[in-house]
Amino acid sequence: MKKLIHALVLALVLSVMMAGVSVADTIKIGVQAPLTGKYASEGQDMKNIVDILAEKLNAAGGVNGKKVQIVAEDDAFDPKTAALAAQRLTTGGVVAVIGTYGSSITEAAQGIYDEAGVIQVTTGSTMVRLTEKGMKYFFRTCPRDDAQGAAAAKIIQEFGSKRIAILHDNSSYSKGLAEETKALLDPSTIVFYDALTPGEQDYTAILTKVKGSDPDLLFFPGYYNEAGLLLRQKMEMKWDVPMLGGDATNNADLVKIAGPEAAKGFMFVGPPGVNDLDDPATKEFLATYQAKHKAMPASIWSVFAGDAFNVIVEAIKQTGSTDADKIADYFRTGLKDFPSLTGTISFDEKGDRAGKFYRLSKVNEKGEFILQ
Amino acid sequence: MEEFFQQLTNGLAVGGIYALIALGYTMVYGVLKLINFAHGDLFTIGAFLGLTLLTTLGLSDHLGALAGVIALALMVMILVGLIGFLLERTAYRPLRTSPRLSAVVSALGASIFFQNAVMLIWGARPLVYPHSILPRTAVSLFGMEVPVVRIIMFATSVVLMLGLYYLTHKTKTGTAIRAAAIDQDAAKLMGIDVNRVIALVFCIGPALGGAAGVMVGLYYGQISFTMGWLYGLKAFTAAILGGIGNIPGAMLGGLLLGVIEALGAAYISIAWKDAISFLVLILILIVRPTGLLGERVANKV
Repeated sequence: MKKLIHALVLALVLSVMMAGVSVADTIKIGVQAPLTGKYASEGQDMKNIVDILAEKLNAAGGVNGKKVQIVAEDDAFDPKTAALAAQRLTTGGVVAVIGTYGSSITEAAQGIYDEAGVIQVTTGSTMVRLTEKGMKYFFRTCPRDDAQGAAAAKIIQEFGSKRIAILHDNSSYSKGLAEETKALLDPSTIVFYDALTPGEQDYTAILTKVKGSDPDLLFFPGYYNEAGLLLRQKMEMKWDVPMLGGDATNNADLVKIAGPEAAKGFMFVGPPGVNDLDDPATKEFLATYQAKHKAMPASIWSVFAGDAFNVIVEAIKQTGSTDADKIADYFRTGLKDFPSLTGTISFDEKGDRAGKFYRLSKVNEKGEFILQ
Repeated sequence: MEEFFQQLTNGLAVGGIYALIALGYTMVYGVLKLINFAHGDLFTIGAFLGLTLLTTLGLSDHLGALAGVIALALMVMILVGLIGFLLERTAYRPLRTSPRLSAVVSALGASIFFQNAVMLIWGARPLVYPHSILPRTAVSLFGMEVPVVRIIMFATSVVLMLGLYYLTHKTKTGTAIRAAAIDQDAAKLMGIDVNRVIALVFCIGPALGGAAGVMVGLYYGQISFTMGWLYGLKAFTAAILGGIGNIPGAMLGGLLLGVIEALGAAYISIAWKDAISFLVLILILIVRPTGLLGERVANKV
């Protein structure tokens, strides 16, 4: 038995060493994404996008004469699995990591990357705290919640709402956004503030209670699945209060879940949706994506993963190196208005993407998201 | 007062679903003393099979809405019953004489297997049942708006539960099931084919879970491959609340859990809704460890 274990360990060590040798002429870029679990669809879109870009890059000769190899790890939208995924990626020799979706998930992994000196460019984690920690190697291509909260509060004020109900889902993202927005609003106008449990199907009990507070606007800074169900059940209760969502409702599946009739008139604050991207190169890329996967990416968050890939490759090309310090310095000082899928990218001192994104969109009777 | 009754109907409708799923847990536990953790995922499979059959066969176009839905539910019940049968054969029967922990681990493994299989077959995005199959009207009852579909859903749950109660308490097969639940060896000596009884239980329980899956799909519209987890947990709780192994107990537990949740959300806090339901569960188990309708079984000496 002991001999067998020794032999196995030896074989393992040898195979790891050989794997190291055989890929020495490639640059490994990690993708940490929820490939299984509740938000598997977001994670799979992310990986698909990065895969297409990497294929294209390799076909054109790669970067600095080396091919790029994508190493994907599943975090299952779960903090514990995320920490494991981060450990696997850092020990697997990646020079940078793209991802992930979900602020609480990113938080569980970012410390591991930072300590290991691996660049992380997150794509769908908008919680403010993530970049306020002053981590050297942490960046994001998505905007953050305080900008969104300010945008949401401004829209609510312009809407002229006097009785606002705020319903979040207790996730880091949702609660963060709800609190950012609440802090900017006149406290006397908030008639309801509470959280639902995500993942359920029946929200009629909750809607009945919210209705009891008689709001003239329901603000739900949560995810699209729950928003779709809320819209549908709200319509079936014959309650037609306007509803405003946050950027995680920016997903075409929302209309499928709610049905076009219930989704009509739903508004959300967010970066532009996939269909609003009008840059010709982006359109061409999305057409390639659609041809390959028979559908568009469902949300803008996965497209931010493409941005992350592009800026990482650009940094490696410009610095001529895969050294994390050089890349981080280049991101902060060298990269200015780099054209990518969702527009031009620059990073500020904290690692946040510079520029303003948030706009109001509204769902029309055909179920399309229309920028206002 | 109006809001109270509205919440009561909300709770009863959800509770009916919990009860239907809880029956599967309780039947399997009653006969095998095994918690079938894969039961929630059989419910998910029911919902997805229902959608596939609905869209490929176009049942509601050929048969009309009501007959189409009934035919759909029956087909799904048969298919999911079959999957349950195969599950018992492959994952549980070989372990029947092993320590009970092995079977529980096997059940958890089956659950993860089913969840990922559903994701790989149907994809990770939530799918949506067609919106226009069931009538979307509501009736006014005492000043409340109660959607007709909710009433149909609740009635279907009750009919299925009563059917099961009739089967277990008024027929010879039912007597065999109950006998096997009390003592498998003695039942064997009385000429009961225990293997067949267990196989039957593993068809009926999952079939009811599959029916619940179709109902959830038809009513709420959205189905996703992870939905079995939360429903499974709630139904498991309902089964324990009512007294696990006891069929009327599962019905009572399910309805009660639905109502506690709705009222807890309405009068205490929405965010504390689940905490409240599980607190009630703990309190009941402290006061009455066997659950509400469970009987204390004397230990054999």
